[in-house]
Amino acid sequence: MKRQSDDQVLTTLMQAAQAGDVQAYVRLLKEITPRLRQIVRRQRFFVSAEDIEDLVQDILLSLHAVRASYDPQRPFMPWLMAITRNRLVDGARRYSRRVAHEVQVENMPVTFSDEGSNIDSDGYRDPEALRQAIENLSPAQRAAIEMLKLREMSLKEAAAAGGTSIGALKVSVHRAMATLRRALIKES
Amino acid sequence: MTMDTEKLIERLAEVVEPVRPLARPWIRTAAWLLIAIPYIALVVFVVSPRADLISKASEWRYVIEQVAALATGITAATAALATVIPGYDRKFLFLPALPLAIWLGSLGDGCVEDWIRFGPDGLSLQPDWSCFPAIVLVGAVPAIVMAVMLRRGAPLTPHVTSALGGLAAAGLGNFGLRLFHSQDASLMVLVWQVGTVFILAAMAAWAGQYLLNWRSTVGTARRRVLIR
Repeated sequence: MKRQSDDQVLTTLMQAAQAGDVQAYVRLLKEITPRLRQIVRRQRFFVSAEDIEDLVQDILLSLHAVRASYDPQRPFMPWLMAITRNRLVDGARRYSRRVAHEVQVENMPVTFSDEGSNIDSDGYRDPEALRQAIENLSPAQRAAIEMLKLREMSLKEAAAAGGTSIGALKVSVHRAMATLRRALIKES
Repeated sequence: MTMDTEKLIERLAEVVEPVRPLARPWIRTAAWLLIAIPYIALVVFVVSPRADLISKASEWRYVIEQVAALATGITAATAALATVIPGYDRKFLFLPALPLAIWLGSLGDGCVEDWIRFGPDGLSLQPDWSCFPAIVLVGAVPAIVMAVMLRRGAPLTPHVTSALGGLAAAGLGNFGLRLFHSQDASLMVLVWQVGTVFILAAMAAWAGQYLLNWRSTVGTARRRVLIR
């Protein structure tokens, strides 16, 4: 009985909304949103809360876009449920397409919550300290860092440009990186 | 969508405007015919009606086939317009079945009669490629008007809705064609004319996904809400 009178209220609100009554429209949308959320959650229990909210919003936008197709002589809820069912099917199709193109990966220690992964990136956040640390390197190490890390030259190109061997460059850059790491950690 | 739902409701309320509810499908069909029939009459007049049209009007088979083709077009239009109303009665989908059955039945009966009367010669099939462009020409404006009308509703079943819309326009196209094209051999009509009608309905069904989809229907509302 209560449900029937609720539906009657919604029908009246929708009729007013079609006539351009903003207050009635807001009330209608606020009344149906929890219901829609409940329906979507029940039928799509496997999707995230964010996806459920997206689907609810899609249904609200659809209602708005096709509100002229509501016949004011008929009850509102069957009309809304037809749109809801249709949008859920449409949403499921989009969801399965998206999942099919997603690559699932394990959580890698590259996030900010992982302390160990942030040492280097945190150290490099002070460009002045980094510049100073590079200045303090020996000339051979500084040249190796400049060519290989800053100018992104290949080992072969850097060896040719610096008039040294690839092996010597590798040693220089390795030592330079160790020196920089120590200097920047001490700095922070 | 990253917007909060409460915020979305506020934005929708900001952009809401009064809308006129869509009329019942049969009333919208009548409105469609008000444009389609004068256009078909104009095409028939410009191409010039067949010379034997008056005498054909007294042949029961020709009359039945024409009435059935017209009725198929009208009922298919009503069914198409019903399918864009959320919560529509699915019985509407079967509306064109009876006139279509009468149309095909009459043509099938004509084929049998031609076979009995003339033997294998009565069922000879010659190429008649003009049917396709002619039906497209006669059905073009009804098809465009139908597409515009369908896009005002909800794209619940794009392929079915478009197929019915295509059948409506092509059915009327065939009705108009037979007012100026002197081809009445049942098999020829069945293959070239009704075949064209079905091909056009199938093409419309395929195009349904582009013509009627939620993305474009909701897109305008979404843009208005987001840019506000």
